[in-house]
Amino acid sequence: MKERSYKANLLIEGMAKKLNRQMVGSLVACVHCGMCTESCHYVLTNPDDPTYAPAYKADRMRKIFKRHYDWTGRVFPWWVGAKSIFTDEELEELKDISFGKCTNCRRCSINCPMGVDFATFNRALRGLLVSVGVMPEGVAVVSKDQWEIGNQMGVLPEDYIDTLDWLSEEMQSEFDDETAVIPIDKLDADIVYTINPREVKYDPRTISDAAKIFHIAGENWTMPSEGWDMTNFGLFSGDDALGGAVAIRVYEKLKELRGKKLVISECGHGYRSTRCEGPNWAGIDQDFIMESSVFTMLNYIKEGKIKVDKSKNTGSYTFHDSCNNARSCGLYEEPRELLNLVVSDFREMYPNRNENYCCTGGGGAMSMSEYTSRRLKSAKVKADQLKATGANIVVTSCHNCVDGLTDLIKHYDLKMEVKQLVNLVANALVIPEKITAPEVPTVEIKKAPLAGRKILVVDDEPDILVFFKSVLEDNGAIVFEASNGEDAISIALKEKPELMTLDINMPGKDGGWVFENLRRNPEIASTKVCIITGRPELRRLIYDRPVPMPEGYLDKPVDPDTLLFNVRKILEVG
Amino acid sequence: MSLNFNINSIPAKLLKDDLSAMEVEAFVFYARKDLVLGAGYGTAISTRGGPTIKAELDKIGGAKTSDAVLTKAGELKAKHIIHAIGPEFQEPDLKNKLLNTIENTLKCADENGIKQIAFPLMGTGFYGIPLDVCSSIMIESFTKYLTNSTGIQEIIICANDNREYNAFSNILENKG
Repeated sequence: MKERSYKANLLIEGMAKKLNRQMVGSLVACVHCGMCTESCHYVLTNPDDPTYAPAYKADRMRKIFKRHYDWTGRVFPWWVGAKSIFTDEELEELKDISFGKCTNCRRCSINCPMGVDFATFNRALRGLLVSVGVMPEGVAVVSKDQWEIGNQMGVLPEDYIDTLDWLSEEMQSEFDDETAVIPIDKLDADIVYTINPREVKYDPRTISDAAKIFHIAGENWTMPSEGWDMTNFGLFSGDDALGGAVAIRVYEKLKELRGKKLVISECGHGYRSTRCEGPNWAGIDQDFIMESSVFTMLNYIKEGKIKVDKSKNTGSYTFHDSCNNARSCGLYEEPRELLNLVVSDFREMYPNRNENYCCTGGGGAMSMSEYTSRRLKSAKVKADQLKATGANIVVTSCHNCVDGLTDLIKHYDLKMEVKQLVNLVANALVIPEKITAPEVPTVEIKKAPLAGRKILVVDDEPDILVFFKSVLEDNGAIVFEASNGEDAISIALKEKPELMTLDINMPGKDGGWVFENLRRNPEIASTKVCIITGRPELRRLIYDRPVPMPEGYLDKPVDPDTLLFNVRKILEVG
Repeated sequence: MSLNFNINSIPAKLLKDDLSAMEVEAFVFYARKDLVLGAGYGTAISTRGGPTIKAELDKIGGAKTSDAVLTKAGELKAKHIIHAIGPEFQEPDLKNKLLNTIENTLKCADENGIKQIAFPLMGTGFYGIPLDVCSSIMIESFTKYLTNSTGIQEIIICANDNREYNAFSNILENKG
């Protein structure tokens, strides 16, 4: 008899615990009709490769199920295609299919006439693999960060609080109002606002935009000092224990603060995990309201708590439905209603709502760099969809989609921007006169917030150097430039800049080399670093290094306001 | 939130805290065989503690399951880190390996004159050891090892969240 590996045995045994009625129904119902095939963006972009077909992928798990848990497969394995697994190599193949050939977007599920929910048992398969330590490196990193640090991106508590404090100071200054702050751990708030750690690490403007909206609406709100990450990598890794632990942290903190309503910032998988799946994973009922910030913002406008002027948002807009918000949680109309209240030129994308195609960054795909080329190839479907709208801005209510779309827009050179509804609502806000931000008192401060600050810009693209230099110099900074790694270090040693903006992908010595050499040289180790890259999949070249992390991160393309905003944040310029 | 108790008359404390930010003589990091700090607590150690910890680990190179390796703690508030290579992901003979890992960690502390040591809930969370299994084994290991011959004067069990805290305190209560 063929010997089975220890891990393969564990996986087969573990499957028994996953087999609920829904799962078994999905495992036995497939008639191989092929209806799912054309639903999948991987299949559409790899028409000659049958291994991408949802039915084929599903059969990998179905064969094991039939062989061990279905009487037909135990008695007549040859007849029903039942087949066991024996080796660790086979587990690696399952990993490749489960993590690398599916984003769990569920588009095939809604197009299956038999109601087979492939994504559900693909997630279960992921969970089984993770339980025996078989997973992509990126999944391991993110899972461990969320288990041990409390959020997916390893944002330390002091960095989170510092960011909120800094954003509060910014807002106080903008409104010239001491009460314009982000309250932390305020008891008895009507709203406890939870976010995606990506907002702290890469996109703090979304936090300040939300804070402005809450402030102008006169909301009694707060942000928690812990349990603030509403994302949940358990959804992607299939680890229900992680799913439950993360959800409990969020729910417990709200209860500790005696908050009335949990508002979840714009994040598809965060919304699904926290509001829909979390109570099941955690095994506890919740007696408070949980809602997406899309509803909160929409209600503020409807109730007259905030006023908006849509003429402030120029350009043409389309909307991308996040798989988790739309297909899994039915959040279709409210984002469109809100979008139409804050922009004038909205163009629908086709297909849309629950038939929309995945951004291709879902299901944890953005953290699995080994599958980047597959992901970007499959993104052709999405790129064509975006292009056909003729819009120059795509709006989405999901942080994963922001990253996925940004990456494919760059890859397919679409000349589009990605925004979230919170950005557009904040930009369209009509500030009531009593809290209108006064003119900045002196021309000097307004024109030169970075006066005298030394900044080294490192990038191999001449256009980027010119662009960053002009934006920073216009704001008073003394700017040095380097177009390669060696020059970056020698200029840093000579000029001792306070901040280095650093590209990752450069010929010769890349950004990772520069970063580690900078951090390891005591003369310049304290230089603040803002990574600015068009290759987000290369982040690990920086973040995996055993040296203190960079102070900031931006995705290219970057606009002048975002650049300035982040540079000021890092240099703590109010 | 804390709970004081004794293990063979040696004071012990269960609390909820941020392990790598604690001001203790040594804390335990549940480490990998290649001694790469990696993500999670490893991120916190490398970010807060600076590069010297990693440099020290690089010189050691690697270790095997159940080993315990001592380093300094760089710029952390703790003085030392004991890198304990515990079992992971349902590996065979998991309970005995975890018992040995904890015992070797305590030995390592004794050999280096460390009197106060903070433990996480060993191998729970990412590495998949159930909370009740971990708690029972930790208590069993402490009880076996902490006899009159040890120089250790205080054990701290640092829970990462209420879930961990409650699980350990429940097991502690059940064991009387």
